[in-house]
Amino acid sequence: MTNPSDASASEQPGANGQSLAGRYYGRSIPYLPIDGYPGKLFVVEGTDGVGRSTQIQLLREWLEVKGYGVVETGWTRSPLMQPTIEIAKSSNTLNKLTFVLLYATDFADRLEKEIIPALKAGFVVLSDRYIFTALARAGVRGVDRQWLRNLYGFAIAPHIVFYLNIDVKTLSRRVLESRGMDFWESGMDLKTGDDIYDSFRAYQRSLLREYSSMADEFHFRVVDARRSIDRIQDELRRQVAAYLEPAEKPTEPALAR
Amino acid sequence: MTFSLLHATDFADRLLYKIIPPLKAGMVVLADRYAYTAFARDATRGVDRQWVRELYSFAVRPDLSLYFRVPIDVSVDRLLARRMKLKFYEAGMDLGWSTSPVESFKLFQGKVLEEYDHLVQEFGLQVIEAAGSITDQQRLVRMLVSQQVQMTRSVEMSDDESI
Repeated sequence: MTNPSDASASEQPGANGQSLAGRYYGRSIPYLPIDGYPGKLFVVEGTDGVGRSTQIQLLREWLEVKGYGVVETGWTRSPLMQPTIEIAKSSNTLNKLTFVLLYATDFADRLEKEIIPALKAGFVVLSDRYIFTALARAGVRGVDRQWLRNLYGFAIAPHIVFYLNIDVKTLSRRVLESRGMDFWESGMDLKTGDDIYDSFRAYQRSLLREYSSMADEFHFRVVDARRSIDRIQDELRRQVAAYLEPAEKPTEPALAR
Repeated sequence: MTFSLLHATDFADRLLYKIIPPLKAGMVVLADRYAYTAFARDATRGVDRQWVRELYSFAVRPDLSLYFRVPIDVSVDRLLARRMKLKFYEAGMDLGWSTSPVESFKLFQGKVLEEYDHLVQEFGLQVIEAAGSITDQQRLVRMLVSQQVQMTRSVEMSDDESI
């Protein structure tokens, strides 16, 4: 999907050396050319319970106050697929392959119906999770990595991917304090054991390993998620501002006079 | 894309539950349509050809694939005679090529047939001329199938477990 040598020919200084930003990663959707769309796609990635939604909500308010039009999207939130995915999860018929394909269908639907139209209209799109969650989950379940990357070749490379990084110990406590551990987030379908706590730790540990193995490949901006909500938000805002308004700083004093 | 992926999901489910287990048990599986349908239909809808092939790379390669080829007019006549109304997606009405279902069907399925012609080459599909009599077609099918079954029978025998 990405080739490290492709990234060397950077044309957007703010794109973290990522010349692909705003384009398809691999084989495009031929009937949807997307070159030159004015919108920006910012992704917040990270495992379950790491605090993504909180950060996105704060980022959204801040961007809207600054006058940007913001559209949010999140994993399995497509109106077309969400009910189907819930039904499939609640029955025990879900094979890892069908699991992957259901998620991909959901993503394709949101890409065509939400993300691409919003980028075309100049919105800032904030995505709570992106294809990397799918790649990590499927990778842990032993699905062929190259096949997965080909499958998601129709995804648009984001302008920035923030990866909220955390350790399993902190994560376990945080999840237990808030809503407790759930079946899927604990990887209970992998049947490594009956104990949900042990399963959660083992599963999240391998998920985190998958995420960090993608950090270079997909130019993640790694953010330490063990800090306070405000500190993390400050860092996200700083980086988003630097990306959106690299030329704004010098002009401000002139206007003030 | 969603259309393509939904079909792939359905296919994966059937492959894993209905196709692979009987194959493992040494049984004969007859599939009415297979991944080739997706290759032809999705390409006609504008999805990248190579992407669809890679998507379906988890499919089992059939031992024998029969392609019943029929001219577009014969196809329309047969469908109209049977149920009077063409299905929305079968006629490619979602593509907006024509407001007339029959016209749209001919345009869309015409393109689908062109795709199939490429697939015949690429995947070595056995073409059966489906405009002819049913008896003639069935004889040819039986001949082709029995060739396959005879080739594999010896393997099955040696595979039997003792009771």
